[in-house]
Amino acid sequence: MSNELSILALYGLLVLVQILVHVLAATPPLGLPYLVGPRDEPRELTGVPGRCKRAADNAVVALALFAPAVLLVQARGAFTPDTLLAARAFLLARLAYAVLYPLGLPWLRTLAWLVGFIATACLYFAAL
Amino acid sequence: MTPELTVLALAALLQMAQLALFAAFANRDLGAGYTTSARDRPPSRPLSILSGRLQRAVTNHFEGLILFTIATLTVTLGHQSTATTQTAAWTYLGARLLYIPAYAFGLRPWRSVIWGVGFFATLTMILASLI
Repeated sequence: MSNELSILALYGLLVLVQILVHVLAATPPLGLPYLVGPRDEPRELTGVPGRCKRAADNAVVALALFAPAVLLVQARGAFTPDTLLAARAFLLARLAYAVLYPLGLPWLRTLAWLVGFIATACLYFAAL
Repeated sequence: MTPELTVLALAALLQMAQLALFAAFANRDLGAGYTTSARDRPPSRPLSILSGRLQRAVTNHFEGLILFTIATLTVTLGHQSTATTQTAAWTYLGARLLYIPAYAFGLRPWRSVIWGVGFFATLTMILASLI
């Protein structure tokens, strides 16, 4: 497996962990009976659990954009040291994002998001 | 084509069928006049309880499907397809199929249990691709 594909798999693991953390963080405020029920009346998450939810939702969106980029580069056989650098930068930025969001750090979180966004764009340019 | 890829195609078809089912119920609740509009305002009539559940089931499966997609592709492209990953893939599909009636009927706590089965099937495949 190429290093870029391994990074995609590792990022998949990170997203799974973020979803799990969000569910665990949401359990005390919402209660297990609500979570395992059909959730017919919406309940808002606030504070840290809300941040964990928004971070997980954003991670899924980032995955939907990162995965095709890696697969395109793979299909074109266009792996270079630059694409590996972009994939690594993406993973590190998203790891930082996952930690910075629950901590509620402004600017730094947005910066981490931006690095991940630009790294993804670089992969698409490499695939073209 | 690996069995995992076949399951991926089936899972995507399941999601399209699920989306069509929700759209049919939403049109019944809200009226085609609203659903075909630009939806600038919230609908005057709310979605029924059942349609709301179908909508949340579709939304949840988009999240699951993105993760399952990278699980199948990393397993396939990394030549890591084994009996374990194939079983996990079929388990995922079965879980996501059962998730729809479990949500529609509000089966507590089975909807969450079924969701967990799909989650761990995906986790198994991603871990297998990395080993």
